[in-house]
Amino acid sequence: MNVSNSILKQALHKHYARNQRWGFMWALWTAVLWGAWYVPGTALWYEHPYIDISVDNQSLRLAATAVMTWIHAITVFFFLLIWNLVLGKLKDYGRTIVRFRKISKWYALASLCGGPLAIFGSYMAMGFIGPVFAAISSLFYPVIGAVIARLWYKEKISQRAAIGMCIIIFGGMVIYGPSLFGEMDASNPNAWLGYLGGIMSAIGWGSEGAVAGRAMDVSDPDVGIHCRFSFEILFWGLLILPFIAMFSDLPIKNLIIDTLTHGKAMLWIVLAAACHAYCYTAFYKSFSLIGVGRGEAIGNLYAVFALIFIAAFTLQLPQWYFILGLIITVAGSFVMFSESAESVAELRENNDIKVYP
Amino acid sequence: MKLHHKGFLLITLSKTGSMWDYQLIKKVFDEYGESGDFREKTLRIALDELSAAGLIKRIENKIETNKDKEKLLFKYQLSDFGISRMVDTGLLLP
Repeated sequence: MNVSNSILKQALHKHYARNQRWGFMWALWTAVLWGAWYVPGTALWYEHPYIDISVDNQSLRLAATAVMTWIHAITVFFFLLIWNLVLGKLKDYGRTIVRFRKISKWYALASLCGGPLAIFGSYMAMGFIGPVFAAISSLFYPVIGAVIARLWYKEKISQRAAIGMCIIIFGGMVIYGPSLFGEMDASNPNAWLGYLGGIMSAIGWGSEGAVAGRAMDVSDPDVGIHCRFSFEILFWGLLILPFIAMFSDLPIKNLIIDTLTHGKAMLWIVLAAACHAYCYTAFYKSFSLIGVGRGEAIGNLYAVFALIFIAAFTLQLPQWYFILGLIITVAGSFVMFSESAESVAELRENNDIKVYP
Repeated sequence: MKLHHKGFLLITLSKTGSMWDYQLIKKVFDEYGESGDFREKTLRIALDELSAAGLIKRIENKIETNKDKEKLLFKYQLSDFGISRMVDTGLLLP
């Protein structure tokens, strides 16, 4: 009896440890791929047709950002199609996306937050300021996510999480501070669009997690992310881009054709999309195994990887206050989410997770 | 159109009260005409995910030995949070 008990105990321990290990591995993959995304994402701005657009031409640069975000979303969709085809989840994708009224509408809303707000904002930050700023300015997003979850789901914010949030906000002030006091980019009159893009990316990704969470609980993460990108393609392709094309004289059609016919631009978009497709997949998968909080804390290491990748490719070290802000913000995200399994379980008033060793 | 896998697992649990994982997997295989080790592993991961998210609870466990290979099995039950999430997402009527 005792022997069989100890075998059972050992098997349980192995099972839970394996699940947690997979959860943390997915979260780490998120960080690596997310960090890598900023390299092709920024390189794209240095290729035709994007390099031809003058820095002063705000409206054309914004239209170009919208076009690149749409083509990026379509490419991500194809990478996810391959993923779900290999995993045999395409039928489940169809079964999930058709339940629009109660399930996939949350993915549609999440795609609005993640696409036209977050990814578009990030491309703006990369285009108007630079990749290092774009990467670090999004680090705010766990704070936004926690605040929305508090207001909308009435989820508790523990004292520890509140301290972590204060540290993250302080880190954000270090990142944005020098620009607010006019020490940075005085020569660039459009820099404010980059700062706005940085804020949009943080708000977008923070709200995306909270919105997608509703549907993600009852559907498959691989399928969920596929639904989310399907809706993003539709929003850009059927609403936003046709609207801009119809009500302005911006050359949307030419930008699309020029992007698709320039090999180098497409190469960077394909590389960026590969990083983003599998980074998002890993992110959603980590949430379902170790919880949104811990997934986000490790996922936030993306900024460290982004800085390493950008420094390796450009051979330029970032400004000192970017590095300081990065250290403070990442430290804050670990304080915010380094809670015990029990308190994470309590957020949902479910005691089951307490069996974890 | 049939329900997605996780939706089917949740509805089956809501109808039966509690069930062992191998029984749930058999139900899915019968309903969707599926089979194989890979599909079984995918469904076990789905159950792990539902459990980690707090929608279902593990209420019993046991080890089964088959061809010298030990397999850990769990019996699952819906949690209160799982029921409310099912209502939110239209899988269960309020």
